[in-house]
Amino acid sequence: MNADEAALSVRALSVEFATREGPVRAVRDVALDVYAGRTLAILGESGSGKSVTALTIMGLLDSPPARVTSGSIMFEGADLVTATERTRMRVNGEGIAMVFQDALSALNPVYTVGNQISELLRVRRGLSRAAARAQAIELMERVRIPAAARRVDDYPHQFSGGMRQRIMIALAVALDPRVLIADEPTTALDVTVQAQIMELLTELRRENGMGLVLITHDLGVVAEVADDVTVMYSGRIVERGTVEELFQRPAHPYTRGLLRSMPRPDRQDDELWAIPGAPPSSLHAPGGCPFHPRCDAAVDRCRSDQPEFELIAAGRGSACHRSQEVFDGRA
Amino acid sequence: MSAPIPESTRTATAPSRTGGLRRFVAQPTGALSLTVLLVFVVTGVFGPLFVDRPGGLGSEILQAPSSAHWFGTDDLGQDVFAQVVWGTRVSLTVGAAASGLAILIGTALGLMGAYSRRADAWITTVTDLMLSLPLLPLMIIVTAVAGPSILTLTVVIGLFSWPEVTRLIRSNGMVVVAMPYIDGARALGAGGWRIVTREVLPAVVPLVVVSVLLTAARAVISEAGLSFLGLGDPDSWSWGRIMLNAQRSGVLSTAWWQTLFPSLAILLLVLAATVAGVRFNDSRDPRLKDR
Repeated sequence: MNADEAALSVRALSVEFATREGPVRAVRDVALDVYAGRTLAILGESGSGKSVTALTIMGLLDSPPARVTSGSIMFEGADLVTATERTRMRVNGEGIAMVFQDALSALNPVYTVGNQISELLRVRRGLSRAAARAQAIELMERVRIPAAARRVDDYPHQFSGGMRQRIMIALAVALDPRVLIADEPTTALDVTVQAQIMELLTELRRENGMGLVLITHDLGVVAEVADDVTVMYSGRIVERGTVEELFQRPAHPYTRGLLRSMPRPDRQDDELWAIPGAPPSSLHAPGGCPFHPRCDAAVDRCRSDQPEFELIAAGRGSACHRSQEVFDGRA
Repeated sequence: MSAPIPESTRTATAPSRTGGLRRFVAQPTGALSLTVLLVFVVTGVFGPLFVDRPGGLGSEILQAPSSAHWFGTDDLGQDVFAQVVWGTRVSLTVGAAASGLAILIGTALGLMGAYSRRADAWITTVTDLMLSLPLLPLMIIVTAVAGPSILTLTVVIGLFSWPEVTRLIRSNGMVVVAMPYIDGARALGAGGWRIVTREVLPAVVPLVVVSVLLTAARAVISEAGLSFLGLGDPDSWSWGRIMLNAQRSGVLSTAWWQTLFPSLAILLLVLAATVAGVRFNDSRDPRLKDR
C-alpha cells in the first residue's frame, strides 16, 4: 500500500435532509482525505455539517429523511455510498470505527461491558467465549481501565464518564480498524479527563497506524493533537491545511475569527472577542458566501457570488473571494 | 498525564434475578396474585390426578354445595367441583397457548415495525385494521367454520389477540431503536437481525412479560366466552362449558352454584394475572419509591 495514498477518501459529498419545508442541504461538496497514522481534525460549530459528514461515512443516517445526493466515499477500493449492506457491515468496525460523544447512551445498558466487547469479538473474529473474554480484558487494559479483570463484569452505568469513554474506545479499536472517527469524544467530560482521552486516542493511533478523524469545536484540542485541519461552515469546507500553517496563517476570515476568539492567557484582554452574529440556518442560507453577514472582510461580491474552494498554497485551500488577501494579512 | 484514575466508585451492584422476585412479592398484591396463579397452575396440572373426570349420570342431581359436593351437582348429577378442576386444565392450556401464540406474533411484528420504517407502514395498518374489527363475532364465525376443538380455540384466540401486543412492543421498541447505542452497534457493523434480537429485544422483555400475563387473562375470557356459546371442545371440560350446560338445562336461575363457581374461577384468574402484570411492571420501575 502506498504511504501517500489516503486510507479514506471523500469526494464531492453532498447530503440532503427532506423536511417539511423542503430539502435541507446539510453537507455540500465535502472532500476529505484521511491518511494512516495521521490525525485529521474537522473543526466547526454546531450545525456546520461535521457530524453529518461522519455519520454519512459510517452509513448511520436514516434514509429517508437523509439522502446522499452526490459524491463518493472511497475505502479500500469500494465506494461506501453505493456499497451493499454486506460490504457496509464488514467495513463498519473492521475498516472504519466510530467513538461517540456520549458514551453512556452509546453503550447498551442491559449488558456488562465485557459482554459487549466479547460479543463483538465472537461474532466478527469467531473467538470462543473464553478467548473473547480474555481479549476483552486485554482491550480494557489497553485503554487503561484499572482492575480490568474485575471490572469486566460491570454494567456501563457503574463506570465514570471517562471510564465509559475508554470502554467505547476499546470497542471501537477491538477489530483493529484502519480509520477511527471520534465525534466530539471529550465534550461530555471534564477537562482533566478530556486530556487523558485525547492522549489515549493519539497513542492508539500511533500504535495501530490508524487514521484518526477528530470531529470537534475545540480549537485547543485541534492545536494539540491534529496534523491536518479541515474547517467547516454551513455544510461546506471553508478552509484546509496542516495545523501549524492554518493556525499561524489562516486564509479564511472565519478561521481567523475562530482563532481570534480563543482565550489567550498571555493577553490580558478585558473581554473575549467573538464572531458577530449567529451561524445561518441551513434552510435559509444567505445568498453568496454563507459567511458574509458575519464577515469582517466582506465586499460586494461576497453577497452575490458563492466562492469556490481554491488552492492558495501547497496543501492549503480556502473558499473565500479574498483568501489570498487574508492569507497575506492584507484584509 | 495518562495515569489511570483509581476507580473505586462501585455504587450499584449487578441486578440479580432473585432480587427481582423478592421485590415482586414484597408488596401484598404481588405475593397474593402470584399465590393465586400458582394455585390455579397446580390445580390444572395435578388436580385431575385426584379428582375423577366428571361424566355419566349420578343420582344426586342439582344438589346445593355440601361437604360431599363442594360446588354442588348439576342436572345430570355430576360434581361441579370436578368439572371446575378439569376445566382449569383446559382454560389454562388454551389461555397460555393462545397468549404464547399472540405474544410470538405480536412481539415479532412489533419489533419489525419499530426497527424497519418500510415494514412499519404495513404493520401499523394491519394492526389498526385488526383492532377495529368486531372480534367476538369474527372468532365465532372462524371457530364455527373450522370446527370446535381445543386447537381451533387456541389458534383462533391467538390469531386475534396479537394486535395489542404489537402496538405495545412497537411503541416501546421505537424508543429503544432511537437510542444512541443502536447507532453504536451499527457503527460496529451489526446487522438488522442482530440489532433487533440482541439490542432491542432485551430492552422490551419486561413488557413482553407483562403482556403475556394480560394477554393470557384476555385469552381465558375469550375461551370461556366461546365455550359458553357452544364453540368449545364438546369432549373436554372448560369453565365456559359448565356455564353453557347450566344455561342449556335451564337451571341458571335455580342452581346458582353451577354458574357461580366457574365464574369465580374466571374472575380470580383474570384478576390475579392482571394484578401480577401490573405488579411486575411496578416492581421494575425505578421511579417508584416503595417498589
